[in-house]
Amino acid sequence: MDVRIERLGVRLGGRWVVDGVVATPPSGALTGLLGPNGAGKTTLLRLVAGLLAPEAGAVLLDERAVHDVERRERARRIALLEQDSSSALPLTVREVVALGRIPHRSAWGADPDPGAVDVALASASATHLADRPWAQLSGGERQRVHVARALAQQPALLLLDEPTNHLDIAAQLSMLDFVHRLGADGTTTIAALHDLNLAATFCDHVLVLAQGRLVAAGPPTDVLTADLIHEVWGVQADVLTHPRTGRPLIAWGRATPDRRPGPRG
Amino acid sequence: MTTDVDTARRVRPGPLVAAGLCVLVVTLLVTVAIGPADLSVGEVARSIAGHLGLDVAPVPRLHDAIVWELRLPRVLTAACVGAGLALAGAVMQSLTRNPLADPYLLGLSSGASLGAVAVLVLGVSLLLPVAAFAGALLALVVTLTLARVGGTLTPGRAVLAGVAVAQLCAAGTSLVIFWTATGDSYREILTWLLGSLAGATWQSVAIAGSAVVVVGSVVLAQGVRLDAFAFGDTAAASLGIDVERTRWTLLVLVALLTGAMVAVSGSIGFVGLVLPHAVGALSGPLHRRLLPSVAIAGAVFLVWADTIARTLFDPRELPVGVVTALVGVPVFVVLLRRRAGTWGA
Repeated sequence: MDVRIERLGVRLGGRWVVDGVVATPPSGALTGLLGPNGAGKTTLLRLVAGLLAPEAGAVLLDERAVHDVERRERARRIALLEQDSSSALPLTVREVVALGRIPHRSAWGADPDPGAVDVALASASATHLADRPWAQLSGGERQRVHVARALAQQPALLLLDEPTNHLDIAAQLSMLDFVHRLGADGTTTIAALHDLNLAATFCDHVLVLAQGRLVAAGPPTDVLTADLIHEVWGVQADVLTHPRTGRPLIAWGRATPDRRPGPRG
Repeated sequence: MTTDVDTARRVRPGPLVAAGLCVLVVTLLVTVAIGPADLSVGEVARSIAGHLGLDVAPVPRLHDAIVWELRLPRVLTAACVGAGLALAGAVMQSLTRNPLADPYLLGLSSGASLGAVAVLVLGVSLLLPVAAFAGALLALVVTLTLARVGGTLTPGRAVLAGVAVAQLCAAGTSLVIFWTATGDSYREILTWLLGSLAGATWQSVAIAGSAVVVVGSVVLAQGVRLDAFAFGDTAAASLGIDVERTRWTLLVLVALLTGAMVAVSGSIGFVGLVLPHAVGALSGPLHRRLLPSVAIAGAVFLVWADTIARTLFDPRELPVGVVTALVGVPVFVVLLRRRAGTWGA
């Protein structure tokens, strides 16, 4: 699916949290959404998902404004995986994944694609968890199940808000490797990420936000420079080249406390 | 560990509903037969069949009158009210994501009680069910208005405003009783506040029954949407649900349902709070399975509770709310222990 973000802006509590963002995340690829805390990453994802109405500009999916697409149709094309999503209900993993089928089902009718839950479980490598109670899973397993739920929606556009949060390093690597491989089936993915090295390793494209504005966009090798990192995050870093992948490898220096991070211009 | 028990003990939905319906039918026949005048289940069945126009051996006229005029309306009202309260409780708990929510959450029962007491004591010339219904609706309107003052209307604010309105109505009720009640009216008021089905007639069956059927089927049709709230509002919205519209539609429907229940029986506690949890342990939390089972279980539960209330200290009657609390509280404690893991927020 072609996604175009056109001069997008929204205010929350009077402040422009997303401000004039123009971007074109490449289709069938993994785009990393980077930026310090409060840069507007989550809000931008909610705008792209159509859950929040923009005050300026638009998000276009295949040239149609996302906010004009009927809700259920939108939910069949876009899946959003929130940060820290949990439920107090005693659901099984299969039931959680089946929630992703809601936009495809009518109020009384059966699922038009009865195998979809199994396929989603299998592609997220969560089949062995299917009958476990969701509440008993580890953080990594829960995240895997959330991805399976999102895949059960059969989205063309997958939005992930910090999918590697609270995961150990092995789970982080396998999660991003998996998400990256989804691109081969044509799924366009945008993931908000905090770890710049993971973003450099797995993303095809990155967008860097600071205070609601887009400050850089492009392949990680071009974007993630020492200057940009210093400018946006206020941290000294050396950007090396990974000996095996050739991707940027960021070696952290120290934070510069006297300098508040901020956008250029 | 505790949640393991919950998911492992599930029963398949078809058999669960079928078994529930069988239990309900038996319950209705048996409880109509129970009481001071000695009736057999066979007589009950024949009396009902006769009134439904079936060709059966006739029942003695006195017995027939006891079944058709006295006990059957009361038992059927109990069944409808039980089903309605349990449904309303299940929906409230899902909508507010609060396991302690019940049908009376938004000040409904207190408003209804105030309306009813006003009629009983002040002699306001209105039918009692109408006054109770009006009181419930008024309380709902005040609650929602208060919740909107100085902010957006969120479920959390609505619940807080409901608590305030409930206190206000309770104070008003106490005030009215304090100034005016004498002798017998005390007893009548108390009965009403604790809930009672003693006054049930075919009219009560019609009010409660149509509310349960109409609201129940709409709510059931929304079952899939309610499931979408399992992981919160944003998750529901990203599954294509119109979160605000769904929530307020269901809140108003539940208010109507509760108003109808309170109008015929006063405020009967614990049915709406406990039954969704007890049934959820068998059916699982998904609403298309939970809601039919919870309605049937509520009906069976309240019919038996009312049967105990009217026969245990015969000829004196216990308010049915006393029975539901005596049974409901221990059940709730057991559930609380078993589900410590998932309620431990």
